[in-house]
Amino acid sequence: MRAHNHPAGTAAARAPGTRPSLRELQAAFADSVFNPDVDSVSHHVARSRFPPERHLQVYRNNVFASLTGALVAVFPVVARLVGDGFFNYAAHEFIRRHPLRGGNLHDFGVEFPDFLGGFAPAAQLVYLPDTARLEWAYHEVYHAAADTPLSPERLALIPPEKYPALRFSLQRGLRLIASDYPILKIWEVNQADHTGDECVDLADGAARILVSRHELQVELLALNAGEHALLTAFHAGSTFSDACEAAFAAEPEFDLTHTLQRHARRGTLADFR
Amino acid sequence: MQPIAGRERPRAGIGLRAPHYRELIDTRPNVGWLEVHSENYFGAGGAPLFYLERARRDYPLSLHGVGMSLGSTDTLDRNHLRKLKGLIDRFRPDLVSEHLCWSSVGGRHLNDLLPLPYTEEALDHVVRRISEAQEYLGRQILIENLSSYLQYTHSAMPEWEFLMAVAERSGCGILLDVNNIYVSSVNHGFDALTYISAIAADKVQEIHLAGYTVNHYDDGDILIDTHGARVADSVWHLYRETVHRLGAKPTLIEWDTDIPALSVLVEEAQVADTILEGRHARA
Repeated sequence: MRAHNHPAGTAAARAPGTRPSLRELQAAFADSVFNPDVDSVSHHVARSRFPPERHLQVYRNNVFASLTGALVAVFPVVARLVGDGFFNYAAHEFIRRHPLRGGNLHDFGVEFPDFLGGFAPAAQLVYLPDTARLEWAYHEVYHAAADTPLSPERLALIPPEKYPALRFSLQRGLRLIASDYPILKIWEVNQADHTGDECVDLADGAARILVSRHELQVELLALNAGEHALLTAFHAGSTFSDACEAAFAAEPEFDLTHTLQRHARRGTLADFR
Repeated sequence: MQPIAGRERPRAGIGLRAPHYRELIDTRPNVGWLEVHSENYFGAGGAPLFYLERARRDYPLSLHGVGMSLGSTDTLDRNHLRKLKGLIDRFRPDLVSEHLCWSSVGGRHLNDLLPLPYTEEALDHVVRRISEAQEYLGRQILIENLSSYLQYTHSAMPEWEFLMAVAERSGCGILLDVNNIYVSSVNHGFDALTYISAIAADKVQEIHLAGYTVNHYDDGDILIDTHGARVADSVWHLYRETVHRLGAKPTLIEWDTDIPALSVLVEEAQVADTILEGRHARA
């Protein structure tokens, strides 16, 4: 049984006083929350001690405050760098352009780094999008599944002549991040427990970072250029010989043996084929 | 381990939140059970699942969802249901609950518990959706009344009637949030006891308690269900009435914003336990 008997139509086309379908009501409600200039639902809100707009404003505040809070939780360094006022403004624009697409709040914010890259008011903060990328990687790694690492013993059993054609895979739960800006230093000096100098010289230059988890702790590890190129090539599915070529091209002094041992110890590699 | 529901002496439990993981596992406070927000454990691994696994060894568990958007006119999110079912299979909760609300439309999620109009159309719709969810999950779920900040002009029945009809027609249980009833009763000007009196005791399997905050305006106040304070005296009073009328039910202390020391939640749960025991002694 339907509570209304009028033909389907859009909420916007409907005169005040008529009953909207559930679908129309929900669409009009969402439009009013995301666009305060759109008044498509207030005529369906019962008058009380307060005007309908006051009631809607409570929901508007709840929606933007909770989603902004979710962004602050994932991007605390970005929030600290730009300050509350600017962050709230950026978050507000982001929420309207990239609404949450599912019922799991942990998925919210994946587009925030790219959004910041195209956000004109933040254009002068050239390091901000990559800083946000690092924070998103941290968030993903925190919730990722852990693969069993490739043991140094198994690695040692590989006959040397097999190496060139091998393809190593990395732990699924780790991320590689590269930036033209010193984002690892920026991240470190903006941690709550950091003491001392908070100045970062952008001339410190590029950062290459491995984001991985050990037990439950997320760790950020600075990588050399060759090391980053090697792991990136592994991650892309390259053969060992192609990955080595990429590593030496990125860093002529690249130390292959040391790098492999270090990542075998750290459990960076998951398997090979 | 005693189950949450169906026991002779229902206990109070607390919401488990990330800042308390370590302390809860180390000190194992004397609370009857734990409840978590299901979606916080939808990740593939890491600290949340690790700590929930540990906590589950010592406490009965309730999974409380905030994101299923049962009242939405979008298609029910199968991926969301699949993740919830995975959690149910892994953690074997005593209770699984969701809200009598909608949160999304046209693929946009508002991350808030939005009220439905209380119409026959909405009733048909939400009953269908709850049945679909229960069928997929292979179990009964509890549905919670929400706090609300507006009413629709075209609602055809009061919320308590709508909630009871939902429970009767879908076969779901009721998670009665006494704080939400209080908040809505003040915001909309109805008698909270009228609401409580309309609820069938045998449908209620869990009660929620939490603290609200007050938004002051020049022309009056609106109560906001922030879950960020101690349970208000007026809500404790309503809770005593509820326990008196509906009997002792497993009761949860919820606290989601400005989370205090674990001991504060334990204290609040002890107050609820005292009220539950009083009811038992009188019965």
